[in-house]
Amino acid sequence: MVSEEKRREILERLKNGVIQYDEDAVKEAAQEAVEIGMDANEAIFDGLVSGMEEVGRLFEEQEYFVPELLMCADALYAGLDILKPHVRQMDLGVKGSVVIGTVEGDVHDIGKNIVKMMFDVAGFDVYDLGRDVPLDKFVEEQIKTDSDLVCLSAMMTTTMVGMQKVINKLREKNPDVKIMIGGAPVSQELAEKWGADGYAPDANNALQEAINMVSALKRMREEAEANKKA
Amino acid sequence: MAVTTMNSRERILKLFSGEPVDRVPCFSGMGNVTTEGLKTLGYKFAAVHLDARMMAESAATTPKLFGFESAVVPFDLTVEAEALGCQINVYAHSEDILYPTIKEKVIHNEDEMDIEVPQGVEKKGRVPLVKEAIEMLKKDIGEEFAIGTYVLGPFTLAGQIMELNDLLKLSFKKPDKTGQLLDKLADVIIKIAREYESVGVDYITVREMGATSDVLSPRVFKNLILPYLKKIFAELKGNTVLHICGKTNDIVGFMMESGTKAISVDQKNDIAETRKKLGPQALIFGNYDPYNVLVTGDEETVRSTMRKCIDDGVSAVWPGCDIWPTVPPENMKAMMDEIKK
Repeated sequence: MVSEEKRREILERLKNGVIQYDEDAVKEAAQEAVEIGMDANEAIFDGLVSGMEEVGRLFEEQEYFVPELLMCADALYAGLDILKPHVRQMDLGVKGSVVIGTVEGDVHDIGKNIVKMMFDVAGFDVYDLGRDVPLDKFVEEQIKTDSDLVCLSAMMTTTMVGMQKVINKLREKNPDVKIMIGGAPVSQELAEKWGADGYAPDANNALQEAINMVSALKRMREEAEANKKA
Repeated sequence: MAVTTMNSRERILKLFSGEPVDRVPCFSGMGNVTTEGLKTLGYKFAAVHLDARMMAESAATTPKLFGFESAVVPFDLTVEAEALGCQINVYAHSEDILYPTIKEKVIHNEDEMDIEVPQGVEKKGRVPLVKEAIEMLKKDIGEEFAIGTYVLGPFTLAGQIMELNDLLKLSFKKPDKTGQLLDKLADVIIKIAREYESVGVDYITVREMGATSDVLSPRVFKNLILPYLKKIFAELKGNTVLHICGKTNDIVGFMMESGTKAISVDQKNDIAETRKKLGPQALIFGNYDPYNVLVTGDEETVRSTMRKCIDDGVSAVWPGCDIWPTVPPENMKAMMDEIKK
């Protein structure tokens, strides 16, 4: 049995390791969590994700910028790689698979990778098509994987108009698929006009959106746990 | 009302040299080719990047059709990276407007950052082609309109020749090593810009959008980016503009300190505040949204946006990025008409 004190200490180390982008510290704490038989889901959500939530806040306040964010993401992945094999499958009533990529003509993938990270954390099956992805590829992959969600990203005005085409094609084949678009030139107005279900104009918003989503999952997990105990 | 005695080129050159102008000019240092213009020539966008004549002809259509006050070549952001040995993709198959991108980078990991710059880099890739296009533009419309070109800033160029992810992290973890790369790239940029200056280009814009405050902190901008921008502007003799898009209000002071003659910012900048900060003499170009205003906005939105730019105190009405080619001709006309009021 893991003592309450030890449990807290490890969660704190995971969280701070992410915030301080200290990969080694996160690895050590994650390793220890596994060795002493701590619940991996808890270590991920209350350790790594809590850290990322704080990173999101620091980013919002312009304490952190993109370089820090990327380093924090590396630290989170270092922990996730160790903890993931020990995760119990959560039954949240969400199927959770997503096709994600940056549209053709655009080779910027930082925003996309940040959103992907939060899907990875949340235990989604992530089909990452990478960057500079031909538009038809999104549609093909969605059909092939029957994913619930497609995320399209474009960093530049010059490439974002391609998203509209993908949205139209996806809707034609599968009216129910959820579509999220992101990138600097994207606006609420465009998202609505093109029929996307959600949007995130920058890395910060993408991170916030993804954190909100994962935080919602975290709450669902807590409720599920509470129900189980009750 | 005073009779206009200056043509577009004279107006723009006077602006750069700090002399009074009859009205605020409306031009750009970034790409401004339009599909409307390409249509008159029967060219596909994918084809105009690889041929000097087609490039020059395409660029000239914007002033010719709409009275826009400058023509600018090239249209893409890969010229310097290509000269350094990167492979590019012009999406020749595509009927859509896709700008060329880098297919193969020259730096694959941190250990390869100590690059050897090719001898005569300023003669490589499409640099001679762009130079030739500038000469053709000068001959064609250079009496009446200003002819501009652009180069990337060192940080943005570094992000083209290596993974942006790695560059951003290294700019934080290993600023010295990153600085050494930026220093080399600054030299490359100077050499290429001088080539363009040698054929009498009217102004050069240095596009350093990778260093926007959406990505890098003002502190990193000052310590890591500014020294190499200073190096570049100290070496260039002609008219220069430093362009950074996204959040810039906290760095406009540093941008001006770089030694550029003018700064260019986009719609995220609060121009009134920038004007207050930099004083009445500073050349501030901006700051309309070239997509959400010029392409998707109606004529009234275009007119009120131009008015607001002028009221906020820009020295030239100028887009926040490349003009997106599918801009409706009515909007281009409305913009030019409003400026002349």
